[in-house]
Amino acid sequence: MTMEVALFGNPNTGKTSLFNMLTGSCEFIGNWNGVTVEKKIGHLKNHLGTLVDLPGIYALSPLSKDESVAASFLLKNTFTMAVNIVDASQLLRNFQLTIELLEFGKPVIIGLNMVDVAKHKGMIIDHEKLSGLLHVPVIPIVARTGRGCRLIQSAMEPGSSDNQEYFKLNYGHVIEKAIQKLNVLFENEKMDRRWLAIQYLLNNQVVVDYLNKRMEMTEAESVVHDVSDYLKIKNPHLTVSQWIRQKRKAYIEEIISAAVQTQASSKPDWSDKLDMIVTHKILGIPLFLIILYLIFHVTFYWIGNPLSDLLNSFFSGPLTDWTGKALEWLGVMPFIRDVILNGIIAGVGGVLVFVPQIFVLFFFISWIEDSGYMARVALIMDRIMQLAGLNGKAFIPLVIGFGCNIPGIMAARSIEQPRERLITILITPLMSCSARLTVFSLFAGIFFTHYQALVVLSLYVLSIVIAMIMARVFSLFMKNEQSVFVVELPPYHIPDIRTILRGTWEKARGFVKKATTFILGGTVMIWLLSYAGPEGIHVRIDQSYLALICMAIAPIVGPIGFGTWQAASGLITGFLAKEAVVSTFAVVYHGTGSGTLTQALSSAFTPLQAYSFMVFLLLYTPCISTVPNIKREAGSVKLTLFTIGYSMLLAYTVSFVVFHIGRLLGFQ
Amino acid sequence: MLMTDIKPGKQAVITDLTKLDKLAHKRLLDLGVYEGETIRLLASFPFGGPYLFEVSGQRIGIRRFDAGRIGVEG
Repeated sequence: MTMEVALFGNPNTGKTSLFNMLTGSCEFIGNWNGVTVEKKIGHLKNHLGTLVDLPGIYALSPLSKDESVAASFLLKNTFTMAVNIVDASQLLRNFQLTIELLEFGKPVIIGLNMVDVAKHKGMIIDHEKLSGLLHVPVIPIVARTGRGCRLIQSAMEPGSSDNQEYFKLNYGHVIEKAIQKLNVLFENEKMDRRWLAIQYLLNNQVVVDYLNKRMEMTEAESVVHDVSDYLKIKNPHLTVSQWIRQKRKAYIEEIISAAVQTQASSKPDWSDKLDMIVTHKILGIPLFLIILYLIFHVTFYWIGNPLSDLLNSFFSGPLTDWTGKALEWLGVMPFIRDVILNGIIAGVGGVLVFVPQIFVLFFFISWIEDSGYMARVALIMDRIMQLAGLNGKAFIPLVIGFGCNIPGIMAARSIEQPRERLITILITPLMSCSARLTVFSLFAGIFFTHYQALVVLSLYVLSIVIAMIMARVFSLFMKNEQSVFVVELPPYHIPDIRTILRGTWEKARGFVKKATTFILGGTVMIWLLSYAGPEGIHVRIDQSYLALICMAIAPIVGPIGFGTWQAASGLITGFLAKEAVVSTFAVVYHGTGSGTLTQALSSAFTPLQAYSFMVFLLLYTPCISTVPNIKREAGSVKLTLFTIGYSMLLAYTVSFVVFHIGRLLGFQ
Repeated sequence: MLMTDIKPGKQAVITDLTKLDKLAHKRLLDLGVYEGETIRLLASFPFGGPYLFEVSGQRIGIRRFDAGRIGVEG
């Protein structure tokens, strides 16, 4: 029989690293707790079955949407055993969750991670003693290097958890009596009823909703009322959940004092020293901007562009020649030859030459995510984000949106308040994703040779500023609710190159896949439309269907600087995918003029027109792959259509202002 | 006194978390911030920005609004 193992743990405990070690799959790793937002399943290396990765949580009672995943998963009750990864240096906090898992009654294996960090803090942990006290296997591991993961695998073997004792913590007379009463009321439930009763007493919203759907809860509610009334007499501030938490805490402290030896803690480590600078109250934000600038500089000047040029000369030179000769030799008809050479190779090749920049940018984003810097950014940006009616955590989806808007929108799940979450979803599509970067790279390379990194940075800053303004505007129309911001700064990690490369590949392969699937299809379609016209096939390109359609749109975008049908054609395919603009231009400008795309573009746009075009493209609509994600996360078709509509209007307005102010200032 | 009264670098013991709003209270408890714990203020950010403090070896940032609702004794 195959088993299903579920992986639980607090955020930032190395859960995803352990997942990768146990499954050997290329899953994504991040320090920010919004990264693990989807249910991920991997096949265990030891072929026993599957491993489900659950979002990092502190307790089973959820505060945000991604945290509710774990409780819902337990209620479905389909898994065989749980692996609980625990940060050895924070046992007091981590064991709160462990207790809730033990109470569920399924076999549990505890992976004791970061023993080295604990040791540095002066804690010596006797894991065998812990194991004896909790009656479950406790295995010291180093998730990042994979040490100890073998032992976890062998603890999963059938039979090795047979003698696990039922875990029962006494919560005191009053609570125990309430648990018994609830136990009777929940008699039709198949899972552990004591666990269910405790979670109900803790007012776990997922459990409450689940039970409400299944039975009449009046009696159960009165049981809870009686208990909380009783506790209020003792102390007016005491709630049932606090009582339970205190009982657990006392128990955990007992275990810790038996199994952990604490010595005087050693001097501050490099993580503390780094934080003195990175979270410096004045230097923090400038430092973040400098880091962003350096990333762009390296992405373009040092690595991206030289490699891009090599690829470009290969695609337009040898590859085109060889393919042309091969097709001629095969006797393929001229029409097909044109599709392949001028459509596919010119178009898709035009997108693929930006693979180096995309990989380098994703490499840095993965690095930042893995290092723990994201949480610092959330902290230093909170004050500014507050001006926009959001909190610092909303900045993370925006930064991830720089890579691709889709994971950015999904990362918004870790924001606790529904209102702030919704606003973040609405503004994340404005972020300059890596697909837009292909267009910016192309244009900046042609029109702003000496200021490339600066011009691209200006677009990124623009997207953030506009997003902030829009967030402020949206929050005026929404019900005000209490905002909360509590952020944990995890210790920094020494970058693990394997982890970062995996993360880079996970994100960037979508780009390559997109280029070879529907950008390919879109390009061929554009090419056909430019090849055929009312007068038949192989017409002059300005007599083609494409030109006719786009000429109708051109006058609309005329006032913002680029009223040619060629530019308009790019905007149509840009909705399919922003990088399709590049392949479309490769097709339409290839047909009109002679020479390279660069030459054709530099005569078709002035620098100011080019900048206005980039601004419009930056803002004008989420791409077609992003739209369904907005719908899913915002949960409404109306809001999805609204997102497309408002961004269109916004793009037009901002480009108009940029273009005309630019003209007044004497730019061309 | 309140957490906002602590000088950066100085320590204090948390005495009262009950004035916090429910969400912030629960999240701080999740992170192991209990009454009776010793905290050390690391920094307060300018223009009414967040407060960064250390408790049992971990660093946590909260808003000034919430810091002003945490009672401490120094």
